[in-house]
This record gives sequence, structure tokens and C-alpha cells, in this order.
Amino acid sequence: MGKVLIETIYIEKKIKDHPRTKSILSKFKKARHIEIDRYGEVFNKRNQNFRIQKSNPALILAHKNDGFVLPAPEGFGIGASKNYYFSHMYNCIYDCRYCFLQGMYSSANYVVFVNFEDFDNEIQKIIKLNYNTKITFFSGYDCDSLALENVTGFAKHIIPLFKKHSEVDIEFRTKSIQINPFSSITPQENFIIAYSLMPDLISKSLDNKTPSILKRINAMSLLASKGWKIGLRFDPLIHGKNWKCLYEELIDIVFKSIPRESIHSVSFGPLRFPKQMFKDIFKLYPDEPLFSGPLSRNKGIVSYNNEIEEEMTFFCQTLTAKYINESQIFKCLA
Amino acid sequence: MIKEIFKENDFSVRWVIALKEEAEIIITQFKMSLLSQTSVFPIFKNFDGSHWLILSGIGRHNAAAATLYLYEKSNAPRWTSWINIGIAGCGKGNYGDLCLVDKIINNSNSEKTYPDTMKRSILTRMELLTTDFPITDYNSKELIDMEGSAFYDMASKIASRELIGLFKVISDGPSNDIKKLNKSNISDLIKSNISNINTVISYYELLSLREKKIINKPELFFEISNQWHFTVSQKHQLDSLVRRINTFGIKKDIKCLLKDCKNSKSVISVLNKQIESHEVEWGRF
Repeated sequence: MGKVLIETIYIEKKIKDHPRTKSILSKFKKARHIEIDRYGEVFNKRNQNFRIQKSNPALILAHKNDGFVLPAPEGFGIGASKNYYFSHMYNCIYDCRYCFLQGMYSSANYVVFVNFEDFDNEIQKIIKLNYNTKITFFSGYDCDSLALENVTGFAKHIIPLFKKHSEVDIEFRTKSIQINPFSSITPQENFIIAYSLMPDLISKSLDNKTPSILKRINAMSLLASKGWKIGLRFDPLIHGKNWKCLYEELIDIVFKSIPRESIHSVSFGPLRFPKQMFKDIFKLYPDEPLFSGPLSRNKGIVSYNNEIEEEMTFFCQTLTAKYINESQIFKCLA
Repeated sequence: MIKEIFKENDFSVRWVIALKEEAEIIITQFKMSLLSQTSVFPIFKNFDGSHWLILSGIGRHNAAAATLYLYEKSNAPRWTSWINIGIAGCGKGNYGDLCLVDKIINNSNSEKTYPDTMKRSILTRMELLTTDFPITDYNSKELIDMEGSAFYDMASKIASRELIGLFKVISDGPSNDIKKLNKSNISDLIKSNISNINTVISYYELLSLREKKIINKPELFFEISNQWHFTVSQKHQLDSLVRRINTFGIKKDIKCLLKDCKNSKSVISVLNKQIESHEVEWGRF
């Protein structure tokens, strides 16, 4: 992770003396601290310009009151009968043009909830309630799981809980090469470190501020060599000239770099935006090449047409099936 | 009245300033002249209409009313940057320093707001307390003024918060008696900061310019919509299609494609087909 520049940190009064708050603040010595009552005073205000904020977001340290763990949207999962997600953070240090976070919040500032222990309690409750059911938890739905790990230490905090509960799976989905939390511990069978991937040529245009595809592959390869299970997330699938060659090349290099026994699962997800979200994102970046592609509206969703979606998924699935068992391949529709 | 000449890339800046003495140097610097002797608040603007300035007078009600008045009178576009600058008392900081405001407390109802500030600035950032009466007990307070909160509340209704800036020059405090303030030293306080003010304004001009480039409809949109009759809803569709096609299409080619279109519906259909068959060339970007 490159150095994250934070000029302003808003701090909820309630957690200003929290040890985690103090630890985070100590990492940004030059930042100005502004005390607030609730994070919504800054984060949820109307008339914010997401695009301008994104060029230099502030950090908001807050206390989360509820909604620590939520059921994952339908179609989001890798085989378990129940899927849940939790987000210790809202927004992301990366700036990927297809990301739903651009249209999700009116602010581009990062909110970090410091009361990690409340996440622990809620996760444990759900595990207890779902005794004997195969469940998967996803960390980092409203953010990247690891991108700000140097600052938050959330992964490091949550790892012991899932080590203790080996009966449930936990996926850390990321584009970050910040793999420290996993390099110093013994690999766990129930952990999946999942990387979002797309052909390098496309990623260079759409994945702003992220580690390159090659760096991600290297990080996965390193994790695999240590014994960690890897998830490959070709999500979203992006259409364009020579897409077949580009995906073929990507899948080939990925499977050459990571031993198949290290791969937990592979999933493919189409590019889809709810109508209003697309409208909001398009308004922010009308000159974005992604939106000049063959996207159309159908039943309130903006996406490539069925034919393209099916063709892309089928093509990539077929290629992947050469390397791994089909039962490890999933379609993500959330 | 001189006919307005708007350049292609004009930014838009609106100033709301309480006192004439605070505004003098800015009016001179940006070559603004009085628009009318008879308006409710005196309004100044420069030759190309990119800078407008209103003298609000003292107090919250005046600041709010003047901001709205300027918005209407100047027909301020969505990409306008809104600036409030003036003197302020201060419990800390140095006499004469220009400060950026990043938190405002309205003394009358204790409501707090958090303006965004210029990025990577070397200027000191402070909290501002807006009161309805002069305060001389500076103890534990940062900046104190009589307009800021009302200006911000109104400006944030008509513009993006990131396009609003509040700047205060420290004029009085525990060791600088407010009673010593007069027209001349108020004017001098702002004048002595003109270089910093120019830097700050360049930032807001640039923000405004960038916003305009994104918000403004492409030229091709107007060329097409002038040639055929479009309903309001079709115009929205056309705007979106033209922006999308603009990324990859060459204007001349698009016009050529449309030359046989009989009506707006066929124009939209042709443009849609172009998008549907377009394969993005990722290496180009």
C-alpha cells in the first residue's frame, strides 16, 4: 500500500479516547482533527461532490451502532448455504470506475468504525445461530478488505476469531498486496483470500490507484506458496475489443502462477448497475470509456446485453474448467 | 449594458463579503465594477462575468439574503465556486493571518457544519463561531464572525459543498482590541493577504472550470438538438448518448451517420445502434 494522504480526520466524540482511535490518529501526525457528534453530520450531507472529494478524501473515525453483520445479497456466494458480510469501513482508497461504491454514498470520505469488538460479538452470534449450517462470511463489501489494513488493523483483529471457528469460511476480498496479516500466521483452511482480477490492459484504464494485475498475481502466488487458499474473482467481466484474447491471457498467467490445489474457488460476475446508480456514476464520469461500451437498460438494470454476458461467462468458465474442478466455479450475480 | 462575452472555458466565482473595506482590494484585483446603484445589495462584476461580488453588510440575515440574491441576479451556474472572505476575531493565531474555515458553529442554535477546505494548503485551518453580536471574550475560541454560518448554509443549498470556501483574516483578539479596528486597517488586513487570496482563488477557479467541463453538455449535443425537434425526455437520452459516443466517435463521422435521419426518434435509434455495436479499445485509454 502506498502512503495514504489524509489531511483531515473527523472523530466522533464518543470514540475520541478509544485506543484504536488513538492508534489510527498516531499514523497521521500532520492531519487536522475535527471533533464531530455523529459521522452522518459529515458523511451523509446533501450536495457533496463525490468526484472532488475522491481526489483527497478525509478520514472519519466513528462508532457503529448496528448492522454489524448483514446477509449477503442474493447471488453473492461461493457455495455455502448462508452468506453474510461485514464492513468495518465505508468507501475505498482505490478508485475503480465500475465500482458500485461510487454511486452508493454521497461522500467519498472514508469511514472507519473503531468498535471492532461489536463485529466480533455479532459474528459469534450468527455462528451460534447457524450451528450445523455451512456459512461464509465476506469481509469488505463496502470497502476493500485489506487496502487500509496498515491503518485500521481490522484483518489482524478478526483473524483469531475465524481461526477459532474453523467451521465457517471467511473471505477477504481485495486488490491490495498488503498481505502482512497473513504472512506471519499459519494458513487456515477456512480462510479465502480472494483477488479481484481483470485483464491488465483493462485494469490500467479502470482500476485507478490499485496495485497492478501483475502485483496482485505475485501477492496471490506468495500467499499460495505459504499455504493460503486463494479465491479468483473475475468480477466484473469487462467487454471490449479482443476481450477473448485478453481474458485467455489473464487466466493463463493466473493458473501458471498459482498451483491449482491452492485455489479455493473462481467466480465470474457480470457488470451490472441498478438504473439510478448508473445514472449517478455516469453523471460523475461522463467521459469514462467504460460507459461508451454496449451497455443498455433492462428491467431497471444497466448491463451488457444477455448475449454478451452469457458469452463472456461461458468463455471464461470454459477456460477455467481446464484448470480446476467445475464445482469450484461460481457465477456471482449480486 | 456591455454585451456579455463568455469564453469557452470560463470558470465562475461568486464572492459574498460583508464590508466595502474588506472587498475593495478584491474588486480592484479582479477588475470588477458596480453593476447598478439601485440593487438591494451592491453587486460588482468583472468584464467577462467570471467573478461577481456582493456586499452583504453585517450579520447572518444579510449574509444569507445576499448570497441568494447574488445567486439569482448573476444566474450562477452549477459549477460556481462561492467564496466568503472577511475579518474575524480570534482567541489564538496571529493578527493578520489568513485562515481557512473547516468547522462552523452557529452560536444562536449551536448547529455545526463542516466546510471542505482547499487541499494541500499551507494556511492555518480553524473553527469559526458565527454570532449575532460582537464577542470580546476570546477565551478558548478560534475564529469569530457574524456572517459565516448563514453564508455557508445558503451557499450549500445552491452549490456543491466542495465549491464553497470561507476565509477569515484575524483582526482582533486578546492582544488586539476590537475597538481599534477602523476602515483603514480593515482594508489593510485584507490587502496584506492578497497573494494568499490569489492562490486560494486560483484553486477555486480551477475546481469550477473542471466542474464546468463535466457538467456542460457537449457541443455536438447542441448541434444535433438544433437540427431536429427533441422532447425533454429525448434530450436527456440524447445528452447521455452523445457523451458516450464522444468518447470513441469522431464528431464528423457521427454527423455523417445522422444525415439521413428524418426525426429525433431515428437520431436516437442510430446513436443507440452505434453504442450497441461498439467495442471499447482498452489500449487507447
